[in-house]
Amino acid sequence: MNGGFEVLLAGIQATMQDLGRVGLAHIGISEAGVLDEFAFHNANRLLGNEYGTNMLEILLGGVKLKTTGSTTIALTGAKVDATINNRPIEIWRTHKVYDGDILNIGFATSGVRVYLAVKGGFDVEDEYGSCSVSLKEKIGGKPLHIGRFLPFTCRDLKDRRKLPFEYQPNYDKLLVLRVVASYQWDMFEAKQRERFFDSTYRVTDQNDRMGYRLSGERIELNCKSMISEPIAYGSVQIPAHGEPIVLLKERQTIGGYPKIGAVIPVDCFKLAQAKQDSQIRFKLVGLDEAREISREFYKLFKEF
Amino acid sequence: MRCFSVASVDSVIIYFGQKIEESIAKEVRQSYYTLKNAKLKHITQIVPSYASIMISYNFLKVSYKQICREIDEVLEHADEFYKERTSRLVTIPVYYGLEVGFDLRELARSKDRAIEEIVSLHVDKKYTVYAIGFSPGFAYMGEIDEALMASRLAAPRAKVPKGSVGIADRQTAIYPQLSPGGWQILGRTPLEMLDISYDSLSYLEIGDRVKFKSISKEEFLELGGEL
Repeated sequence: MNGGFEVLLAGIQATMQDLGRVGLAHIGISEAGVLDEFAFHNANRLLGNEYGTNMLEILLGGVKLKTTGSTTIALTGAKVDATINNRPIEIWRTHKVYDGDILNIGFATSGVRVYLAVKGGFDVEDEYGSCSVSLKEKIGGKPLHIGRFLPFTCRDLKDRRKLPFEYQPNYDKLLVLRVVASYQWDMFEAKQRERFFDSTYRVTDQNDRMGYRLSGERIELNCKSMISEPIAYGSVQIPAHGEPIVLLKERQTIGGYPKIGAVIPVDCFKLAQAKQDSQIRFKLVGLDEAREISREFYKLFKEF
Repeated sequence: MRCFSVASVDSVIIYFGQKIEESIAKEVRQSYYTLKNAKLKHITQIVPSYASIMISYNFLKVSYKQICREIDEVLEHADEFYKERTSRLVTIPVYYGLEVGFDLRELARSKDRAIEEIVSLHVDKKYTVYAIGFSPGFAYMGEIDEALMASRLAAPRAKVPKGSVGIADRQTAIYPQLSPGGWQILGRTPLEMLDISYDSLSYLEIGDRVKFKSISKEEFLELGGEL
């Protein structure tokens, strides 16, 4: 049976996301895809969905939906006051919704991105192999708007599931992003690298799906103009003004700014929940350690 | 010459030089297609640019050292594989009319040349696709004749129409979709630069040789061009 959500309130920027378009950067198409994979994979796991099943990524909340048919949902990510028919519901767990139910997702009080998944995923079309909305490229459709219908296939999930409290992240503590040395690392003087790792940075208001611009100690580099080169996920650009920019999923595919290193993916996921003025520090890790940390993360969600 | 470096925990970048020039672009092209053809097991993405290639891999399965070794081995045979193969030549029809070539008149004036001469300078040369980026399907081609060299517009346009052919510094490119942009616009092509019906999705690929062909307004419209 077919069901769906009718959008009564669309929020600031709610987009459909899956794991993005890997493999098209050679023709300039951005990877896009979900920003916080921790919340994403957990929502799918709670629902018993296949790895990488699409869901809504809701920036700051403010979304209200009316249910047609019935399904089981999971809410993960930023802390929000959410209700079904005005009855408060918890996040990081599954909930049943029935025909006519009003699901209201309030505004985030901790973290910035809320994830709403349904059992089996939404029935939306892929574009270039993914349903992820890429905002700047206008690929994969648009953010939610009032009146849109988000179709799903009604599926029943018998048991209720919850992510135990001790595994739920705390988005309000000081964030330490682990970085591997990469790209132009060798061109930065030791003193500049020390400054980078000894400083506390602040998230500016320029933070979005493309990247997070930070403010704090300026890193200097004597470097003439650089030839544009491919940009990896998590790259830490040091532009002429010296304040770092961490590039996320919707980054440009190539660019000409020097890069001191790359934040490891599992920490990029955390950065995507940091709001303006959050404090950030960087910590250098070796490749082997970075791999171990990542293995610990992914083994919860998939076989590799 | 190739130099391996870490790009991120799951990507390695190979540098072939530090210049924008044909010989380096050729090495990038050969290496890119050799690697693509080799279909190494754990590689998830290969992204070429002017003088480098980034290769992403399943880092949970294979180490940086191992993937570098495998890549290096494959690239040892790049020349052999490409001895027979030359890059393809692609012809792109362009309508160089004043109503679509917004900067033609001013460019001709500043260079003290006739508009026809400006167009000739653009169509007489063959270009190489050095990189694709900035936006989907946006192919950076070089190098344009020195006499045609143009700076970027001081105030970029908020909207450059789809298909617009522009120049900046020693490069030329086509805007695959309506977007903001600061390149000086000479004309417009009726071709779709990005389409799912194309084998490789993008009309142009890295390493392609490109020649522009001047067409009339009628031909432009017949080919589906929009004014």
